[in-house]
Order: sequence, then C-alpha cells, then structure tokens
Amino acid sequence: MQPLASLLVWSGISVLGAAAFGVLALSRGETVNAAWLLTAAVCTYAVGYRFYSKFLASRVFGLDDRRATPAERFNNGRDFVPTNKWVLFGHHFAAIAGAGPLVGPVLAAQFGFLPGTLWLVIGVVLGGAVQDFVILFCSLRRDGKSLGQMAKEEVNPAAGATAMLAVLFIMIILLAVLALIVVNALKASPWGLFTIACTIPIALLMGWWMKRWRPGSVGEASAVGAVLLLGALVAGGWVAGQPHLAPLFTHSATALTWMMMGYGFIASVLPVWMLLCPRDYLSTFLKITTILVLAIAILVILPPLRMPALTPFASLGEGPVFAGKLFPFAFITIACGAISGFHALVASGTTPKMIARESDARLIGYGGMLMESFVGVMAMIAACTLEPGVYFAMNTTPAALAQASQVLGQAGFVVTPEFMRELAARMGETTLLARSGGAPSLAVGIAQIFAGATSVLGGKTLDALWYHFAIMFEALFILTTIDTGTRVGRFMLQEIVGHVWPRFAETSWYPSVIASSALVVAGWGYFLYQGVVDPLGGINSLWPLFGISNQLLAAVALCVGTTILIKMGRGRFAWVTATPLAWLVIVTMTAGWQKVFSADPRLGFLAHAASLAGSANPDTARLIFNDRLNTFVALLFMTIVTVLIVTSLREWWLVLSRRKTAVVHEAPYVETGYATGD
Amino acid sequence: MRRETERDARCGMRDAALPFLTRLVRVVRRIIGAPDYQAYLEHCRSAGHAPTLGEREYVAQFFESKGRGVRCC
Repeated sequence: MQPLASLLVWSGISVLGAAAFGVLALSRGETVNAAWLLTAAVCTYAVGYRFYSKFLASRVFGLDDRRATPAERFNNGRDFVPTNKWVLFGHHFAAIAGAGPLVGPVLAAQFGFLPGTLWLVIGVVLGGAVQDFVILFCSLRRDGKSLGQMAKEEVNPAAGATAMLAVLFIMIILLAVLALIVVNALKASPWGLFTIACTIPIALLMGWWMKRWRPGSVGEASAVGAVLLLGALVAGGWVAGQPHLAPLFTHSATALTWMMMGYGFIASVLPVWMLLCPRDYLSTFLKITTILVLAIAILVILPPLRMPALTPFASLGEGPVFAGKLFPFAFITIACGAISGFHALVASGTTPKMIARESDARLIGYGGMLMESFVGVMAMIAACTLEPGVYFAMNTTPAALAQASQVLGQAGFVVTPEFMRELAARMGETTLLARSGGAPSLAVGIAQIFAGATSVLGGKTLDALWYHFAIMFEALFILTTIDTGTRVGRFMLQEIVGHVWPRFAETSWYPSVIASSALVVAGWGYFLYQGVVDPLGGINSLWPLFGISNQLLAAVALCVGTTILIKMGRGRFAWVTATPLAWLVIVTMTAGWQKVFSADPRLGFLAHAASLAGSANPDTARLIFNDRLNTFVALLFMTIVTVLIVTSLREWWLVLSRRKTAVVHEAPYVETGYATGD
Repeated sequence: MRRETERDARCGMRDAALPFLTRLVRVVRRIIGAPDYQAYLEHCRSAGHAPTLGEREYVAQFFESKGRGVRCC
C-alpha cells in the first residue's frame, strides 16, 4: 500500500476506534448497541497488531526467517512438523481458547460492561498477547522447551522448581473452579445432564472407531460423534419431559460433585485414545463452530446492551456475584481474554514445534491471543444483553441477593419471580435462580442471540434448544480441560515424587498411575466440594483464587521473558514485558492481600472465619477450616511469585551491572535449508 | 500478492499437486491436532528414509503424545 494511503487508512481506523470508545464511555442512562463495543475492540486489535506486534517482532525479538526453526531442524513428521501459519493459528487458538474467556467476562459484568471491556481490549494488546508472543519466541529459540525448563535454565534452578510447583497448584484450583461451573450448570437439570452424560459413550465409540476400527480416521469418527451429540441434545428435551426418566438425571450439586470426581479419575487412568482424545476432537469442532456462529449472530442482530456502563458495585465493592471493588478484582476476574498465564504452557508446548518460519510467531502468538480476547468481548456482549435483574438473580445465591437487595433496588436491577419462572420455562429448566458460575447466564445470553438471529433469518426460535446447546458447548470443553488437566497434573506429581522414589515416575506403572490420579482428583475435588457447599455459592471464594493464581503464572512467564530479553542484550526493550509484569504484581498482590486480610467477612477469608466463630451452624468448623485453607493457598501463591520475582530481579541486576556474564541458552544458529527469500 | 514459496509448499498446505479436498482435509487435521499418516509417509519420502512406524503405531504414538499436552482454561 502507498504510504499516504496507508497513513489515511490507519488514521481512519484509529479515529473510528477512539470514537467508539467515546460513545461507550460517555453513554449514561440509555442502552448502547453492541456494535460500538465490537468496533472499539476490533479497531484496537487492528492497530495493536499492525504497529505494536510489528515493533515486537522486528525491534525487540529480531525475528529472523533465515534461521531454521525447531520444526525444520527436528522434523519427524509427528511432533515437529513445519506447518502453514494460518493452520497453526487455528491449532494454537483451539488450544488456548477454553471456558475462561467466556466465563470471566460474564462474572465481571457485575461492574457494568465498560471496565471489563477496557481490560479485555487494552490488557490483551499490551499484556496478554505480549506474554504469549514472548514465550513462543523464547521457546522457538530453545528447541521448543517448556516454561519450567526455560525458568530453570535462564533464571536459576530454584526458579524452575518454583514454576513447576506453581503450575501444579494452579492446575488444582483451576480444575476445581471449572468443575464448579459445570456442577452449577447441571444441577437439577435433567436435559443438561442427560446430554453431557451421553458424551461419554459417544466418546468411547469414537475412540474405538479411530484407534481400533479405522486407525486415524478422526474426521469420520468426529462426524458420527457430532451427529450423535446433536441427537442426544434433542433427546435430552424429551427425557426431561418424561416423569419416569427425568428423576434419573436430576441430581443435587453434591451428588454431581462426586460424579465429576469419579469421571476425572477414570479419564486420567484410562488410555488416552479411549476418552480424552475423542472428547477433545468433539469439543474442538464444537468450540470453533460455535464461536464462529456466535460472532456472525452478534454481527447480524447487533443486540443492545441492557447492563449499564458502570454499576454501583464497581465502587461499593459489595457485589452479589463476588465481593470486592473494581480495582483489583475486575483484573483478576477476567484472566483468559486479557492475560492468562496458562497460555504460556501452550506457547511453550506443541506450538513452537510446528512453526515453519520465525516471523510466523507474530500471527500465531500475538494474533491468536487477540482472537481469544475477541471471544471474551463476545461473552461480555452476551451477558450484557440480559436484563440486569435477570443477570443478578441468576448469578447470586439467595443469601447474597438478600444482602445486596437495597443497592439492586436503587439501581433498578429488579426482576419479578413470575418473570424468572417464565424465563426458566422458556429455557426448558425448572429454575434459573442462583445458577452462579457464569455458564447458565452466558447460555441464556447466547440462546437469546441465536434465537434473535434465527428470527431475523425467518427461522423458528428455539430458546430451550439453544440454551441447552450452549450449556453442552461450555460443559463439553470444560470437561475436556478437566480430562487433560487431571492427566497433566498426574504426570507432574509422578515426576515430582519420582525424584525421591524413581519407580513412581514410571507413567505406565499402574499403582503410581492410580495413586497420583487419586491424589490430583482429591486435590481439586476438595476445593470443588468446598465451593458447592459454600453458603455464598463458591464462586465468591474460588474464582478470585483462580484469577490470582492464573495471573501469577503470567507473572512467572513475564519474569522469564524479561530475563531472556535482558540476557540477549535487549535490556532497553525490557519494558515491553516488565510493564505488564509490574501491573500484574500490583493487581494480584493487592487482590491476594484483600482476600486474606480484608476486614469485610464477604471479602476476607480470615474475617469470614472470625465472623463464623461461635455460630450454632453444625458446619461452622468445616467452613472455618475452608477459610483457613484458602488463606494458606492465597499466601502460598503470593510467596511463590515473590520468590521468583526476587530471584529474577537479582539476575537482572547482576547482568545489567556486568557483575555476571549473561549466558543465553539459545539453540545454536542454523541457517534454514529452504531457498533464500522463503 | 504474496508469492508461494518452497517453505509453504513443504508445509503441505499449498501443494498444488494435491486435490483440493485432500488439502482441505489436511488443513482440518492439523487445526484440530489429528494424526495424518499420509503426511508422515510423505515426510519420510522427502527425508529419504523408510517409515519407521506402521499406521497403527503412528496413531498410537500420536494420541499418546497428544495426551501430554495441556488445554487452556
């Protein structure tokens, strides 16, 4: 493009984005169309990708297409395979996109649509996408090494061990929170539970198909699985209407907790081809399709946002969905979508082993994360199209709703019991009250958008079917994360124990497999159970813990990235990773401190434990123990990251002050074997 | 327009010699992380050595390796 034309186009995009932000920020008291939110987000992503990621790629990292990538040097046709950048973009996106970018924005909508959207859009451009890109770049230059290995080599061995421990603990909390979302979505929902239960035999059939009957025929098996899945979805509506069948699939949250734990254990112990892989393929297809369809549906109907830009809970800090003020809690509630430490595990996992040329890392690392943020923006839109009264009634326990009733009434966020009953009936449920966790309210939002889109196209509105489709879509890939997470947690535990008992590290020795799987499941199962029986709904205590832990893992990744930049002699550019790192440390340490030491019993674990002392409630001792355990976990996360930051700061100081020679553990330079100019 | 390069061709997605449907299936396989034994055989041919894995072994190893990867939250 000619320089003048380019200048005009990018100036136009920048002005359009700024105008959209202006409309969003200045609207007061009237509904705003989702088109403004989409425009603001897309323009910011475009400018960020065009200018900032180019700066990172060329000036900061110095990507060099003449340098052979691990995929070229170790090409084995299986793990290390040079892959087209657009294909790898899709592959990487499918691996990083999960429930997080969908659920976090829904929960953060209690502050209004503006804070969460700003954090999603600005956070990803300056933080999340930078983290993914830098870790992908570092791993690419180190033969595809993992985050833990890089921390060990580039910072010091203690940092490597700390990072590994951090990942294991974070995995435990993450799995508990995700399982809690599924439990809250499926409790007393025969339609939902029947559909999800059917995915297990469907996955077993697919596994047998593509392993035993027709090896590698993933497409055929997935097509059959998808048809059966849609059949199960429709059949679920029929089952829910049968007086003799519905009770078989109607269970309490506690019963579902035990089922989830049993499922997680079995999935971890069974051979990977039997349940994990087929379910993963099914959920990947469903995820990509649903996200594409949701984007198109939102663009077709451009729904109005009924939630205001800011709610009173942003400053009061007494939100019924979760306690705490906008700062710092909006920034830990939305992790995936803005910045997520977990992505560093993917960016230093399979992706760097498939990159064909170094410059492709820009699209895959930075661009992939922008796409994830866009998914978060769509989730925010879906949640904010709900009437605020409906949103709060669905995401709050009766106890928390009663506490916040005065503020909700003053803000006009009210809804009648008749309306909620009618809405539940329309969605094929007995009740939608107190369905905390974000998934059901997102499902109602998606159902309304899909129903609106099918109305525009002249189709029939099938609210209940769309609602259960959305629940199935969310539950399916959450369960996939639980399968893989439990398994990876098991491998990590086996490796850790293997240092003192080598036999335990053998991944095919069944006593070790069973013992480590049981320990990992017991770990996340305990926190899940704690969340289920929590009078405030569990999300209030567990989601902030998950947010803090995920963001602290991002801090670990940014520490490693900053260390490597400094050692590469690019210390003058260290601010690109050090700035988001500083922000994350401020946010997570503040949030962690408040969760532990706040005097407000709804917010602080210790204050909550103190408020329960002397209560006649028979569960008091257990609730107090849970508060103390959560305190320990929060302090443990904070300590781990403090150790890593202090060791990193020391390393930076030694290198920058020339007291220590910088040794970069990059793979040696090998010129690409492809033709010049490729 | 960006010219097609040798490296793109090696990535197996732009190989004009392959029928469109084959290329499409290959793209989808890579995106979802599915095993592709034909691509493995092509790799062995271009690398100048005989395949060390039969189809069943290749698929089994591929799935096992997939089970060690993480899925994000």
